[in-house]
Amino acid sequence: MSDKNSFTLKDVSKTFEETQALSSVSLSIEQGEIIALIGPSGAGKTTLLNILSNIIQPDEGKVRIYGKAAAQYSSGRELARKVGLMRQQFDLVGPLPVIHNVLAGKLGEWGLLKSMISFLFPRDKDEAADALERVGLLDKMYDKTSNLSGGEQQRVALARLFLQKPQAILADEPVASLDPARAEDIMSMLVQMVQQEKQTLVASLHSIDLARKYCNRLIALKDGSIYFDLPTAEVTDQQLTGLYQLMESKDGATVAAFS
Amino acid sequence: MQHFHKKNILTGLLILVFVWSLFSVQWRADLFHSGGQSTFLHILLGLIQPDLSTDILQLAIVSSWRTLTYAVAGMSLALIVAFVVGILASGILTKGKTQRTAIVGFFRGLLGFMRAIHELVWAWLFVAAVGLSPFAAVFAIAIPYGGILGRIFADMLNDVPAAPINALKACGSSRWQLLMYGYIPHAAADMLSYTMYRFECAIRSSAIMSFVGLGGLGYQIQLSLEDLKYDEVWTFMFFLLGMVIVVDLWSQQLRKRLVA
Repeated sequence: MSDKNSFTLKDVSKTFEETQALSSVSLSIEQGEIIALIGPSGAGKTTLLNILSNIIQPDEGKVRIYGKAAAQYSSGRELARKVGLMRQQFDLVGPLPVIHNVLAGKLGEWGLLKSMISFLFPRDKDEAADALERVGLLDKMYDKTSNLSGGEQQRVALARLFLQKPQAILADEPVASLDPARAEDIMSMLVQMVQQEKQTLVASLHSIDLARKYCNRLIALKDGSIYFDLPTAEVTDQQLTGLYQLMESKDGATVAAFS
Repeated sequence: MQHFHKKNILTGLLILVFVWSLFSVQWRADLFHSGGQSTFLHILLGLIQPDLSTDILQLAIVSSWRTLTYAVAGMSLALIVAFVVGILASGILTKGKTQRTAIVGFFRGLLGFMRAIHELVWAWLFVAAVGLSPFAAVFAIAIPYGGILGRIFADMLNDVPAAPINALKACGSSRWQLLMYGYIPHAAADMLSYTMYRFECAIRSSAIMSFVGLGGLGYQIQLSLEDLKYDEVWTFMFFLLGMVIVVDLWSQQLRKRLVA
């Protein structure tokens, strides 16, 4: 296992109650890769992301995050410097003004006293303003976060990642609840940030179009196993059809399929 | 289906118990006090024509002020106690399962003890201990109200949605930072509005408590009742009502500002 890898998984399995969420998944992800995690609902995408972000531990197999075994990250602080998360729009503290949600990216660096002072008199305001300007929300700095639209809230979450500056970003359906135009908008901002900061990105996506457009590697999961793991250019339409097929009758005809 | 059956059986049983309890009442003419009717009319008359003489109004204002003072002082103490103990009882600052069980158990128990005893009983105890001093009234409100508020605060903190808290954790927040940036902002509006509601209750409690001799509206109501001066009783009651309404309006304004 090389240490330049962001993530290395070896024979990772995870079972919930009676359903096998992941079975013997192995993969390695290098720094700077932009990866889409695709596959039908229930294929294990979220489980895989939760294992990569050390939120859940696998039943079997080895997980290394930046060269260190996942179990050895004792504090959330240490992990937060390596890995940042982005999920759907419910991740922000709604009653707080936007600026505090952005500055929350700094909480891993700040001591208690500084975070207390900042609650009344925001610290590192220039950095927060800069991040908000990049996502086009500078004018909403002091607005109550829950008053923002879904797309705007995702942009605030992006600004928070700008301040956190992790080495890798794991995004679980970051654009799932947005209309196509806004989804495209968030996705391009996210990828632009990742490229500028030379970060690693692993994003689970429902939209194959977005995955193909923005990511240079596609990892497809089906029934808890890797269906294919290829550079985007090498993925064929046939493979994608196979990935999303619901079931096949005995003579091979497709009963129901969508792509 | 089974659950539904069980519920119906319980409902039937409770109705039977109620009907059975009616048989234990002796339905005779002396169930009601025979002189009650004229007293009732007397009381009604007082409601229409409360005593509005300067003396009584002055007395009402002074007593209302005293009642309000006890309520405000008691409530302020209760709020501080409830905030600290409520956070501890919610277990959000604890680490690990054993620690959590121990700390949550202890502080939930403490809050339970504080509110299990009624403020009037606390008042009697404190009057016995420190005599008829304002401290008796203030502590008698602060302890049970601290228990009630603390319990509700703890529940509100436990009900904060998990997603934003997990996101803050992923940013590397410590437990104290989670409390400040996640839990409290989420719960603050509800906490405040519940505190205002309890403040309203504290005013009523403070009035009642003065029955033990601590002065205030309740004490005046008691004196007037003993003299059978129902017109005076109503004057004091209207002052009590006025205070409760003012607090209610104030709390509505506060809530509107917080939720917007």
